[in-house]
Amino acid sequence: MTASPKSSLLTVDARTKKRNAAEKRFKAYGIVAIAIGLMFLVVLLTSILRSGLPAFTNTVVALEATVTQEDYDAAEGQLLKTAAYEALLVAKVNEFLTAQGSTIEVDEDFITDRLVPKTGATIREFYKANPDQIGQPVTFNLPASTRISRYFEGDLLREDVTDSRFLMVEDLDVVDEMIAAGLITTAFDWNFITGTDTAVDNPGGAGIGASVIGSFFMMIVVLLLALPIGVAASIYLEEFAPKNRLTDLIEVNISNLAAVPSIVFGILGLAVFIQFAHLPQSAPLVGGLVLTLMTLPTIIISTRASLKSVPPSIRDAALGVGASKMQAVFHHVLPLAMPGILTGTIIGLAQALGETAPLLLIGMVGYVAREYPDGIISGFVDSNSAMPAQIYTWAARADTGFYEKAWGGIIVLLVFLLTMNLIAILLRRRFERRW
Amino acid sequence: MKDLNLTEKSHLMSDTKISAKGVQVYYGDNHAIKDVNVDIEDKTVTAFIGPSGCGKSTFLRTINRMNDTIDICRVEGDILIDGEDIYDPAVDPVQLRAKVGMVFQKPNPFPKSIYDNVAYGPKIHGLARNKAELDEIVEKSLRKAALWNEAKDRLQAPGTGLSGGQQQRLCIARAIATSPEVLLMDEPCSALDPIATAQVEELIDELRQSFSVVIVTHSMQQAARVSQKTAFFHLGNLVEFGETDKIFTNPEDPRTESYISGRIG
Repeated sequence: MTASPKSSLLTVDARTKKRNAAEKRFKAYGIVAIAIGLMFLVVLLTSILRSGLPAFTNTVVALEATVTQEDYDAAEGQLLKTAAYEALLVAKVNEFLTAQGSTIEVDEDFITDRLVPKTGATIREFYKANPDQIGQPVTFNLPASTRISRYFEGDLLREDVTDSRFLMVEDLDVVDEMIAAGLITTAFDWNFITGTDTAVDNPGGAGIGASVIGSFFMMIVVLLLALPIGVAASIYLEEFAPKNRLTDLIEVNISNLAAVPSIVFGILGLAVFIQFAHLPQSAPLVGGLVLTLMTLPTIIISTRASLKSVPPSIRDAALGVGASKMQAVFHHVLPLAMPGILTGTIIGLAQALGETAPLLLIGMVGYVAREYPDGIISGFVDSNSAMPAQIYTWAARADTGFYEKAWGGIIVLLVFLLTMNLIAILLRRRFERRW
Repeated sequence: MKDLNLTEKSHLMSDTKISAKGVQVYYGDNHAIKDVNVDIEDKTVTAFIGPSGCGKSTFLRTINRMNDTIDICRVEGDILIDGEDIYDPAVDPVQLRAKVGMVFQKPNPFPKSIYDNVAYGPKIHGLARNKAELDEIVEKSLRKAALWNEAKDRLQAPGTGLSGGQQQRLCIARAIATSPEVLLMDEPCSALDPIATAQVEELIDELRQSFSVVIVTHSMQQAARVSQKTAFFHLGNLVEFGETDKIFTNPEDPRTESYISGRIG
């Protein structure tokens, strides 16, 4: 045997070098992985914001009109009441054009089909709601049609316009005059947030408000059902149930349920809640029930995990001073598990909030939510849409205006999801600090 | 009435507090305690010694039925406290545990205030009718556990913020707050430094005035210091039980002697 040469701590031997290199490589992989993840996130967010932000603004045409009492009475006396108001606007626009020295004259089709769709109804509703404004000059900011707003924003060029019932080339002359006079502007579209869905021919007026309410009622159902059922089931399984074949089977099946595709829950909801129990179609109540089924496994799994993470010494301590099992659980284990339970619940809710597939089958996708519910009960049982369903519906429509709205809807949905996650973090902090 | 109580008490004092008859404990197929018969006296400290895994902790936990929480654990034989079989189907383990307090190996205060830690037992057993009485119980228990002077100014501070030795004394205070008749201690000093150990040992000696104390320990010096009676367990058998002095100076069984002199363990 040869005596090994005396090693020095100042020189790094081959094995150590290799180990250090491996560690460095591993760190580099980690950094690359995180960088890729972040890059995707940035790309995703920028594309969502770029496509979605325009949905929050709209192009409005400011038209000033004075409706006198006689005009109002005459219009209300006619068969086609809205047409009378539109005629007023036609006169207004022609007046404006003459004042600008233009020779073009516009007709009613230009106003109602090509410049500002659905105007008559808007004006009529305004005067019905504010009769004191009759006789006063009122400026109406009317949302412009998709093509005109795209022309205003520069997305649509004059060369690309061919005459159609949506836009005539000569219309653009009128529009140019109006732009020059500052009558066409961009404004924040409150209607997108507070409004309801519209028919396919009016993307400008569509809003997500009604479906936000639909989602809200669904989440109430999910929270009221999934949280108590899930927490009670987890506490029983974790703390009280005997460990035997049956509970093993239940456990395995809960884990399996968590992996079941959500559309399966949708078809189950259709069969059980609508076809068998005859609950109303497209109702947030049914949506909530279906999403409860979907969320339960998530809540049960996370609750059990947080109950498991409470050290057994706490249970021993409570039992040791003569607490019953239930007292030990409710006085000591549950408060310690609370942050985990809340986080799990909110993450489950957030998942349910964004779920589209089950809603497809119970009729919430495709339902045009034109009205807000009348009250709390109507909010649960009347047909409504939900945010993801609304986004899906919009994305499927042909008009590019709706496509934009779909992206905007995604932003609204993301804002809600981020808010919920923020609440989860805040609650967790609050409850953890108590000890 | 009062006289009767006194005579009854004096009768108990001379009597055995806990009496185990033919106790067998199984963990599934594992026979952990083999036919243990022992009489533990009132107002004495009884130490259980023996190598790891010999069943001394298991036997201790059968005395307040903490083993009930382990599904696969089965107990046979009788354990009598004041002549009543604690494994009788009519006995509720919750009531039993109020009477037989327990202090665990690792200090395990509740993550609540010092006050709430001590007050929890009396609260759930309805031992105090009002806040003043509860305050009194808390103070008395903390005084008995030699923690009052250190804790009186910070009763609302979390119990988990105390040092290890203080935490263990808090756990002792919590255990004696329900005024148990028996106090079981499962290696109460194994997580403590020598100074804290000395404090807890001193405390055990004082607690002997009011309770029957049973302590499991790995330290033979500790057993010799604090106990009057010692039981030596080996492989699930109770090898020898007797006066501590005798066990340590003149054991009858060769296994006891080997263990004490450090040849088996």
